[in-house]
Amino acid sequence: MRSPRTTRGWRICFSLAFLAACGGGGEDAGDDVIRIGAIFDLTGPTADIGTDYADAVRGWVEWTNGRGGIAGRQIDLVFQDYAYSVDRAEQLYSQFVQEGAIVFMGWGTGDTEALVPRVADDRIPFSSASLSHRLGDPAEAPYNFLTATSYSQQFLVALDWIAADHAEKGGSGGAGVALLHHASPFGLSPWTQLGEEYASRIGVDVELYEMPRGATDFTAEMTRIRQSGAGYIVIQNTSAPASVAVRNARSLGLDATIVCLNWCSNALLVELAGEAAEGVIGGMPYPPPDADVAGLADLGAFLEARGEDVSARTNAYTQGWFTAEIFGEGLRRAAATGEPLTGESVRAALETLTDFETGGVTVPITFSADDHRGSNGMRIYRVEGGQWRPVTDFMTAPAVP
Amino acid sequence: MALDCGVFHSTYESDMGLRRTPVERARMALFVGFLLVFPWLATPYWLNLANQIAIATIGAIGLNILVGYTGQVSLGQGAFMAVGAYGAGLFTLEFGLPWGVSIAAACVLTAVVGTFFGLPSLRLKGLYLAIATLAAQEIIEWVVTHWTAVTGGTEALVVPAPRMFGTRLNSDFAFYWLAVTLAGATALFTANLFRSRQGRAFVAVRDQDIAASVIGVDVFRTKLVAFATSSFFVGLAGALIAYYRTIVTWERFTLETSILYLAMIIVGGLGTIRGSFFGAALITLLPAAITNLGRALQDAAPAVAVQLPNVQQAAFGLVIILFLIFEPEGLSKLWRNVKDYFDVWPFAYRRGESRGG
Repeated sequence: MRSPRTTRGWRICFSLAFLAACGGGGEDAGDDVIRIGAIFDLTGPTADIGTDYADAVRGWVEWTNGRGGIAGRQIDLVFQDYAYSVDRAEQLYSQFVQEGAIVFMGWGTGDTEALVPRVADDRIPFSSASLSHRLGDPAEAPYNFLTATSYSQQFLVALDWIAADHAEKGGSGGAGVALLHHASPFGLSPWTQLGEEYASRIGVDVELYEMPRGATDFTAEMTRIRQSGAGYIVIQNTSAPASVAVRNARSLGLDATIVCLNWCSNALLVELAGEAAEGVIGGMPYPPPDADVAGLADLGAFLEARGEDVSARTNAYTQGWFTAEIFGEGLRRAAATGEPLTGESVRAALETLTDFETGGVTVPITFSADDHRGSNGMRIYRVEGGQWRPVTDFMTAPAVP
Repeated sequence: MALDCGVFHSTYESDMGLRRTPVERARMALFVGFLLVFPWLATPYWLNLANQIAIATIGAIGLNILVGYTGQVSLGQGAFMAVGAYGAGLFTLEFGLPWGVSIAAACVLTAVVGTFFGLPSLRLKGLYLAIATLAAQEIIEWVVTHWTAVTGGTEALVVPAPRMFGTRLNSDFAFYWLAVTLAGATALFTANLFRSRQGRAFVAVRDQDIAASVIGVDVFRTKLVAFATSSFFVGLAGALIAYYRTIVTWERFTLETSILYLAMIIVGGLGTIRGSFFGAALITLLPAAITNLGRALQDAAPAVAVQLPNVQQAAFGLVIILFLIFEPEGLSKLWRNVKDYFDVWPFAYRRGESRGG
């Protein structure tokens, strides 16, 4: 038989664990603070860009609070790392909402989709870094807002740019495009939502190639792409796998033009792919934090005041900061109506945003009661000498019925 | 089953009861009472956790039937849950079946699929079978993400919310009753299963398959029945997730899920129902507890906060390792220790029994 002392030790452990779990008990947010809930990926598979995004949201809160908060009330950001786990996201979401969060900043595709019905039930305006086109349709996701161009519209812009580039280079017939995508809704959505329809309309020939999760080599896919003769490769994946694909393409001597969408067109890709990244095209709804854009002044001042190097941050930082800023504007407008701040009033306030200026950081943001896709444009960049350099100003996505 | 000293049964009924002593019955009544009162007092956060635990308990009992009772290691848990979840969703969406019928049909479908992937167990044992079930995990995951016409591929499958008497059943409060009732029914069925001829055959196959076949157990058939029974409940867990969340994505049913469930039953205690529940509760509550501990520390020591997410991951692993070192028989054994301790409380030990014996 085990000695009673050991048993007592276990009981103490259990009591501690139980008490710790009890921390979830909810107290309502008082009138003095505005509570915002957030989940970040700091340790999971998307932590590479997740960390910058998270730091930006926290930075924005610090900056805003330092200037008196919103309508005289301080912002209380309650957040946790959720390591990209859907179950953890659900737990943290209900915990933070119960603690009085009235808006919520989400992250990944799996957890955002899983939370759509609950978010609608709880009436909590929800932002996510997942930019699936249908999340911006209030008929399907009434409380979700897209603060950046949806993946589908990014793809349409990329197709437009490709068609123009192809014509400029004197290519005959339609351009051949290989869409290299992550094996998930995130990866496929540019194609299934609008992309397929638009490609056939403008006569661009698109073939799909899947990037399996956790794959560390895409030589086979690149070989197939070379055989297909496609002149352009569009990558819809995060920086780490995309950088591997870029290296594979270059080591095979493939001279196709590579176009990265949102989550791989950042400084991390250049860092990881090194020399091979030269000439890669990137579509960016949000520019890098050190870009020469007036709207980035606050962000730059904040980072400099903290003694940080602005150029060390990726454009995920800009995206996190302005996602928070756009929701902050919703909170400001809701507070200005004089009615109590609730998820519903914030949603109504967000829907009044029309051509909201971000100082050239994004195209002006517009939400309406039947469209929660705030932005429909992005700039095209190119890697030159290890730096992203702008190639075009904002290109907006064509309307696809 | 050994009886406690001083307990006598004078009828067959009392001898065969699942709870055979007044203390056991009182404890059970207390637990059931707690389950009945809990949702009225709990906040949505706790109800959400309770529902996750109830669903995980069903899945863990299912896995335990296969791994703990029959000794067939399976790494296909996540995939079988996916079959249950997608099955339940699709039976409603494609054939318009009511949610209750859909769930039942999904359980049967999972049982059939599980039996099919149990076929290699005829020739494979131990680690080799684990690899075969790993193949099941990969194959099913591949089918789910690529059979676009049926599962919608990698797109999320939106399932209509279950309704009963005009109210939506997937709110935290309403779903609690459904999940806990089904978890209770699963536990009751399984407890009785291992008092039956078939259940004893499972255990015989686990302990020594050659001896089992010598005494007349059809080993292959028994293994397949174990796969079917196990998958049935695993499918039930998957189907419940589909109806609780009303959105099914394959990202929830990866190999990590399979491993997490194995961790549950190992930490909880292999081959016990109580252990399945304890394991499910621990694996669900531990990350939540660590998170809350972390949040408390965040205010007290902001300097630590930067490293906190990494510490949380490490702490989760550490607790599991400590469990395996100090109590390899799992939480279920720990519970027995606590009972033994209180058995003689306030005395240190029984008369005639030596300390530490």
